[in-house]
Amino acid sequence: MRTPSGNKVYGMGAEFPSASSLYEAAKRVRDAGFKKWDVHSPFPIHGMDAAMGLGKSWLSAVVLVGGITGLLTAVILEFGPSQIIYPLIVHGKPVDWRTVPAFFPIMFELTILFSAFSAFFAVLTMNGLPRWNHPVFNWRRFSRATNDGFFLVIEARDPRFTELEARELLEQSGGQHVTIIHEE
Amino acid sequence: MSERSDVIPAPEGEYIESTRFAPLSFVLALLGLAGLGLSVVGAFVSPKQFSFSWLFAFAYYFTMLAGCFFWIIVHHVVDAEWSVVVRRQLENLAMLLAVMMVFFVPIVIYRHHLYEWMNVKVGVEPILDSKRAYLNWHFFLVRSVFYFVFFIAATLLFRRFSIRQDRDGNPAFTIKMRRLAFVALPLFGLSLTFGAYDWLLGVDYRWFSTMWGVYIFAGAAGSSMSLLVLVITALRKAGYLKETVTVEHYHIMGKWMLAFVIFWAYIGFGQYMLIWYANMPEETEYFIRRNTESWNALSLFLVIGRFFVPFVLLLIQGLKRKPHRLCLVAGWLVFMQMVDIYIVILPALHGPGVLISIWDFMPLIGMGATLAFFFLWIARRSSLFPNRDPRLLESLHIVN
Repeated sequence: MRTPSGNKVYGMGAEFPSASSLYEAAKRVRDAGFKKWDVHSPFPIHGMDAAMGLGKSWLSAVVLVGGITGLLTAVILEFGPSQIIYPLIVHGKPVDWRTVPAFFPIMFELTILFSAFSAFFAVLTMNGLPRWNHPVFNWRRFSRATNDGFFLVIEARDPRFTELEARELLEQSGGQHVTIIHEE
Repeated sequence: MSERSDVIPAPEGEYIESTRFAPLSFVLALLGLAGLGLSVVGAFVSPKQFSFSWLFAFAYYFTMLAGCFFWIIVHHVVDAEWSVVVRRQLENLAMLLAVMMVFFVPIVIYRHHLYEWMNVKVGVEPILDSKRAYLNWHFFLVRSVFYFVFFIAATLLFRRFSIRQDRDGNPAFTIKMRRLAFVALPLFGLSLTFGAYDWLLGVDYRWFSTMWGVYIFAGAAGSSMSLLVLVITALRKAGYLKETVTVEHYHIMGKWMLAFVIFWAYIGFGQYMLIWYANMPEETEYFIRRNTESWNALSLFLVIGRFFVPFVLLLIQGLKRKPHRLCLVAGWLVFMQMVDIYIVILPALHGPGVLISIWDFMPLIGMGATLAFFFLWIARRSSLFPNRDPRLLESLHIVN
């Protein structure tokens, strides 16, 4: 989608006077059936995920897989060398599964390490990071999102997005300075 | 959002009607009297077995109630919002520590059966003699009295402030309780730690473990949170707290249960692994006894049942938001706390293997029923939640 002057359109943004008006607007945008949109505020707003209809994040599933991978890595790296490839009696401890207390700290640590890494990289990936710039910064007012501004941006790639409908919805929800945001 | 309550409860609070649990109280009183009466029979028939069974039941209930006391302190120290609606039940449960003081009397009477160090004469065992400055009867008694005086006095004060706030809604009581909590926190740590040393580690005076106090605390805190879940759910089943405690509160309590399942395993394993790895005879004795013969099976059951099973279950987010399923896990954890305390105490008596005696059950049932009776008695005497607490509204509308 392009403007008459030929600029590619990223989406439609609106500013809201308060956290509660942004919260109410989010509920209306959710109920209107939009999927590709986001809200921006200087601080986290309790209950916003439900107001946006986000549902449960799949981050926990990624972390679970990462954690299990870490645990299995530790099991293989410990039992493999010290009991199968090169069995060695240390401290008079038996060479079978009963040695497992000595291995628990490593299992624990690798589980945590892999979980933390998978959480970190999954969060980066899910948020499309790292990136140099974002189209919302083309909107001059948006710089106040880290200070005292509350913003809602509907993206043009949403299948339901039309300029008229988005503008009408944002204005009816109490949005001010409703504007088109350019991609570049 | 849809599941949270938007109803603001009546400022007069919510009370149990005086006749509501009369039949149940009657049954509990009968059961308590029967259990305690039969325990007295056991005390004459088989005093050695009785004293250990009694200590087992005493330690089981004491750790859980002391854990409730811990959660009250933590609530005030960190200025928590979520726990306001469940705090009154913690106060009610912690008040039962006054009943526990009465239950401590048989331990004093039968101390010579329980604590071998009291029977060893000075000059017989040099290692014990070096501990005499701490391990002597008078100091033991002074310490035990101090623990009870502290627990009961602090709980009485917390409850008194809390109930007076119910009447006038004065926020100054919140500040008072917070100040009291900061005094009570270190004293609680010392009392539970040394209480665990005196009463539980004392049955095997040759053994050392610097992690013992934390180990008992970890079990106490986790199982008392499970107990709270059960009590709250029971009250909700009876038709109370319907609009105050929401699924969000269950979610938070479930998270605490998970946290302390992990913490218990962490401390228990830390204690075990250091002793196992160092392999020093004066330390390994405790675990050798618990890892041989039929005690080994019970110890393995404890590790699996107290950590692995609830850990995997409590990881599931959906389970923590379904009160009935969370209750199953909570009931299981309360049961596993009993197994834990059993493994702590009874091997000192039945070294060769597990030997469950009929006298194990009498104090357990007798004390449990008596405590439940007094819980119903005390729960009636105030609102079921602190209805004028300044943070009540935040607590009602909490979202995870």
